[in-house]
Amino acid sequence: MSAAATRNRLPLPALIGVVIGAAIMVAPLLWTLLLSLKSNSELMRDSAAALSPPYTLGNYRDILAGSDVPLWLLNSLIVSLGTTAAVLLLCSLAGYGFARLDFPCRRSLFIFVLLGLAIPEQAVILPRHQLFASMGWHNSYGGLILPGLAAPFGVFFMTQYFRAIPKDLDEAAMLDGASRFRIFWKVLLPLSLPAQATLGVFTFLGSWNDYWWPLISATTSDKYTLTVGLASSQMNYAQTSGLGFLMAQAVFASIPILIVYIIFQKQIVGAMAGAATR
Amino acid sequence: MTRHDRFGGFAFVLPFVGFYSFLLILPFFMGLWISLHRADLFGARKWVGLDNYVRLFGDPVFYQAMGTTFTLALLIVPALTVITLLLALALNRATRSAAIFRGLFFSSSVLSVTIVTLIWRFVLTPDAGLIAKVFTAVGLEPIPFLSHPDWTIPAIAITTIWWGLGLPMMLFLAGLQQIPQDMYEAAALDRASRWTTFFRITLPSLRRTTILVVMLQTAAQLQIFGQAQLLTSGGPSGSSRPIVLYIYEIAFGRWELGYAVAAAEVLFLLVLVLTLAQYWLSTRKEDAIR
Amino acid sequence: MKRSRFLLAMAAVFTLASCERVDDRPTLVIQRFFGECGAVYGRSIDVGKADTECGILTTILNRFIAENRDINVKVNVVAWPGYPQLAAQIAAGDPPDLVTMHQSVISDYQGRGLLAPLDQYLAEAGIDTDDLTLAGQRGAVKDGRYYAMPWDTIGRLWHINTDLMAKAGLMANGKPVLPNSPDELLEHARRFKAATGKPYLIQAQVSAPDYLVANLYTYLLAQDVQMFPDGRHIRLNTPQAREIVQLYKTLNTEKLTTIAQDFPAATASFVNGEGGIFPTGTWMIGPYDDAARASDSRLGGYAMLPFPRLWGNSAAFVDGHAWVVPADERTPEERRAITRFLKFAAQYNADWVRTGHLPALRAVLDAPSFRAQPHRSDIAAMAATGRQLPDYVQRQSAIQGLIGEELEAAVTGLKPIDRALADAERRVNELLAQI
Repeated sequence: MSAAATRNRLPLPALIGVVIGAAIMVAPLLWTLLLSLKSNSELMRDSAAALSPPYTLGNYRDILAGSDVPLWLLNSLIVSLGTTAAVLLLCSLAGYGFARLDFPCRRSLFIFVLLGLAIPEQAVILPRHQLFASMGWHNSYGGLILPGLAAPFGVFFMTQYFRAIPKDLDEAAMLDGASRFRIFWKVLLPLSLPAQATLGVFTFLGSWNDYWWPLISATTSDKYTLTVGLASSQMNYAQTSGLGFLMAQAVFASIPILIVYIIFQKQIVGAMAGAATR
Repeated sequence: MTRHDRFGGFAFVLPFVGFYSFLLILPFFMGLWISLHRADLFGARKWVGLDNYVRLFGDPVFYQAMGTTFTLALLIVPALTVITLLLALALNRATRSAAIFRGLFFSSSVLSVTIVTLIWRFVLTPDAGLIAKVFTAVGLEPIPFLSHPDWTIPAIAITTIWWGLGLPMMLFLAGLQQIPQDMYEAAALDRASRWTTFFRITLPSLRRTTILVVMLQTAAQLQIFGQAQLLTSGGPSGSSRPIVLYIYEIAFGRWELGYAVAAAEVLFLLVLVLTLAQYWLSTRKEDAIR
Repeated sequence: MKRSRFLLAMAAVFTLASCERVDDRPTLVIQRFFGECGAVYGRSIDVGKADTECGILTTILNRFIAENRDINVKVNVVAWPGYPQLAAQIAAGDPPDLVTMHQSVISDYQGRGLLAPLDQYLAEAGIDTDDLTLAGQRGAVKDGRYYAMPWDTIGRLWHINTDLMAKAGLMANGKPVLPNSPDELLEHARRFKAATGKPYLIQAQVSAPDYLVANLYTYLLAQDVQMFPDGRHIRLNTPQAREIVQLYKTLNTEKLTTIAQDFPAATASFVNGEGGIFPTGTWMIGPYDDAARASDSRLGGYAMLPFPRLWGNSAAFVDGHAWVVPADERTPEERRAITRFLKFAAQYNADWVRTGHLPALRAVLDAPSFRAQPHRSDIAAMAATGRQLPDYVQRQSAIQGLIGEELEAAVTGLKPIDRALADAERRVNELLAQI
């Protein structure tokens, strides 16, 4: 953020608005944290008990001792990282191909890919479920990762980015006798790192937050992602009294991604801004 | 270009096109085909032509779900757009506190839908929720956010807005960064008031960003699912059931795959038409201004 | 350099993910509802010390795992009732091996050929089907074959706070006085509210589509109303049904019941003594009994009785839980693993019914240890008067959802009663027409 005109301080009414907004953002999170630090029996009587001590880490101990949450966390990581890596690779290759190379039907293929932008996930998820069933792909990491790879937006985005890079760079490399792939790998890919970051953040978050597909594709709890696992805990709340335990699961499951977010906040925010200026 | 290059290009795009065709295009056409059948979830198929679509448009529950979906979109999209625009305007500064606030307002976006609904369930629920505790403390009757038909849709909307502030705010911030500084300098020379500057320079310059935000959000909110399923299960009596939850229930609760896919195709057309219409409206206006 | 390191890391993640421990034990996927209580019973195998449905079943499963190390057991805990997930799993071609299922739902799956017949499994497990209770047999036999191992009979009861009832003058000879007609019920309820300032009924009406349906079924069955004339039709918009729904609507409009409570809220209200009677399942007998006996109890006296006879005969709509085996290709080892579990589950039937359910095994029902448990003599009658739905109707689970939705609209005043019943009738008939 460098615009000079906006270096001045916030006017008071706006400041008040922002602070109130921030309070609304924080209050639910704080409440969740407090609930997670209380014993379940105390909360069953009255959840307002969360506002006063004694607090305990007992719920977190229980999670580490005998719950599936750590496993679901790992599954979510594997699926999201796998999806992100594969999307970056596929979309960069295709983006480079569409932006820089000439081959038969290039234009029509590109339009074919763009058409996919119009198809929402919900329109294909049921037939895709049938398709994966006939291939025997359900309940596997592959089955959870694959649907994320059909990312026409990623190709569009990378194509635009590669188009904007001056052509003299790869032409110079070409004169040195480098192969197409070498130029892509050594020259253009490093130049596209900001775009990779943007697309990567989007893909990772999208996959991390995906709910419907893992809900119907993961059939045993050892393949659940965090979203699906916590959904079953949440719906089961009606039959338990473990409010504190439930909230501890929510906190425990959010902490890793929040830490990643805080550490890479600058990059993530930058990546988001990058998406907007495209 | 050498001959090798002419076909070598294929090698770069083929992996993606392969995955894409198999994972998106093939299921899309499978869906069109299935929707013309009385098909159950477990493989039974019987050709019925357009019967599923005819049934759909005679189904009051389908209209109810459509109504809920539109109400949710109408509650969420304008509010989200205005709030995030204001936030972006307020936080578009190089101060440290602005950076912290930006981070804070974006933070909810990294949480998954399950966690967001878990958090909000125990903010909203009338017996154990945070809001209910505040209300009881000041002697008011808690609001049945998750069970009264007047409150369930607002509850889902509030949750969604809280969750979704991050991305549109970032888009607006990026849009603000792109406004050339000399435009403001010129305005300052003309002694334009803050309001004039805002309405004459800032807002018009954010037109494209605003259209982008509205289009993205409309498409997203028409497909709202997890929040409704997890917070209210679409209740009471279906009054907060959006179209995607309707599709889910038909497919996996009633096993009527063909009927569910037909509803999904209608949703697809709806999203497409609305997006195109918004795009068309916005570009037409642009021409008119010129 | 950085990129290749990144790719290397990714490759490592994948290899790690794909090389699961080689396991040549037969896998047994057990899927159950009844909630998640890992916080309390995470590793416990002490079945005798466990309480509540969730606790007892969790410890039973833990114990099975501990005693059968040669079977690779995976447990899925699904949200109640878990049928959409089961449908998705079957459609995905990867169903679990054992699933908890309501007996009323079995014909949905059996009728579509999705369940494996269990006669041979039961025989191999040493379970003589003649030892099963009649209600259990009725629930598990479809088309002359066993498609489930019944595990209990469940019904709904009136759980009563006797302290408050006494305060309202609704106790006689130490027993709660229950109404004999809908008008008398309203009269009791008004008197109760005037005397105690608290609602007569506590009802979990939110996110509990089955609750009102169970009430409706109960009182229609009590009047011998033919709800399902055949497998393709339901008849709901009848004078009897309208009268029943009207009663529940009046309770709501006059605030003679708690409003806008889901199950956790309602149960907290009952335990905290904030209302007179909580109509809910047999499965809460154990927990409420404990709550009433706790030293700092706010529940006071606790009793429970079958639903009062308001119309027609005394009858109750009963259902039951059962273990089913979805049809799938299985190796002999996997089949043996299933057999072992069924045998194990039957052995622990006596522990399971400490929840308050009625056992599915005659031996357990007749055992003095079962009769000696509190309140069991009060409900034993239910095994005889209990009525189930006709098994020629498929999609009972979906039907229950549709009716529940319309009844909810009727009792909360969203829709006039006759329109809600007509809508329910239409929607169910449309569903049945599509089978």
